[in-house]
Amino acid sequence: MKQFNEFSKAKQAYDETPIPRELSDRVQAGIRQGQRAHRARKTQARRRWLSAAACFTLLLAGLNLSPAFAKAAADVPVLGGLFRIMTVISYDASDGGINYVVSVPRLEAEGGMTETVNAVIREKVDQHMEKARQDWADYQDAFFATGGTEEEWGNREMDVIIDYSVTRQTDTQVSFVVTLAEGWVASYEERYYYNLDLSEDRAITLRDVLGEDWVRRCNDAISAEIAASVDAEGFTFFFTPEDGGFITVDGTTSFYLREDGTPVVVFPKYAIAAGAAGWPEFEIPLA
Amino acid sequence: MAHTIESALTAYLTAEQDRFYRLAFSYLKNQEDALDAVQTAVCRSLEKQDSLRNPDALRPWFYHILVNACMDLLRQRSKTVPFPETEPGQEDPPPPDEHLARQVEALPAEVGTVIRLRFYEELTLKEISAATGANLSTVKSRLYAGLKKLRIAMEGAEDE
Repeated sequence: MKQFNEFSKAKQAYDETPIPRELSDRVQAGIRQGQRAHRARKTQARRRWLSAAACFTLLLAGLNLSPAFAKAAADVPVLGGLFRIMTVISYDASDGGINYVVSVPRLEAEGGMTETVNAVIREKVDQHMEKARQDWADYQDAFFATGGTEEEWGNREMDVIIDYSVTRQTDTQVSFVVTLAEGWVASYEERYYYNLDLSEDRAITLRDVLGEDWVRRCNDAISAEIAASVDAEGFTFFFTPEDGGFITVDGTTSFYLREDGTPVVVFPKYAIAAGAAGWPEFEIPLA
Repeated sequence: MAHTIESALTAYLTAEQDRFYRLAFSYLKNQEDALDAVQTAVCRSLEKQDSLRNPDALRPWFYHILVNACMDLLRQRSKTVPFPETEPGQEDPPPPDEHLARQVEALPAEVGTVIRLRFYEELTLKEISAATGANLSTVKSRLYAGLKKLRIAMEGAEDE
């Protein structure tokens, strides 16, 4: 029975594996992400029902939109004012181990800006779908090529989620975010923020909202929050500027507007902080 | 109802996190990867909490997700970093001078999982069956295959 003594030694060594102090933050971050993802699934389910009630839902095999449908959908306003945002494509389907939960928005308004935004959204959605299918196929190949068995593969599946949410709407302005996500081995997410002024047919900038010294105001607010995040042991998720951390906002920095008009600057995951921090957001106080 | 499952799950994940990390580390041998695997598994488990039908089976249910996350990362890594190929079923005992823990790491993945869960995490064979999705007799034969391999290796070591 020598091996059982041996195991007690091996187990002791195993039990003494040092635990990094980030573990607890990473677990809490995982819990938050998981709770959000779980709620998103439920919301999606609910929204699908509401959409069905409004005769919105279409089961589409691809992303081709029929003109007849577009016309019918246009009769159901979601937002008032000069424009409306509607879900033009909404479906929930499974195909080859991929679950699709898709709501693609489309802006209906006069002006060239609207067309551009819609075209960009469509292009991003198409690219995302293509990338997701390719990632899944590559993963499947790698799984079996490295000795994975059918049994281990089991009922593995990947989630492809396309969704949007409107953060602010007035008669002339709209601020919304389109989220493209893949959920499987590692979760992967892209977000695109749009802030539009439909009366002027153009994008709203941080300068419009905060005035001439918008860069300084953003940088002050962000630096203060990063400084405040350092704990008693000198630890923070944020990278130092030398390590690729935050330096300054610029014309490409993403933001959205809250219901009350407050701008919130958002950085992609990993851009200025460790992955556990998610997508860091900074509220920039209005004067 | 749904809320009690979520809070039970969250409490369990927070309380047992060190164990998850150790298990992940024993597969991945790398702190950053082990943290990624734990975070991914925690996130997935909450996302898929509705699939936990029997709250008493929480532990094997979560280990299933965690082991899958570790294996996925190993595979993903083997796509980028050259990884020593272990042919399934190849009777190739680990070097005799290695410590038992190293020999466990050298076992074929399914066999190594059974050994880890049985002797490190002290799951019952039935729980291991639930955690790996393999039926009980497969788990048993993997356990004995693993023990046999390790014993052969150890006898080899004693001959030195």
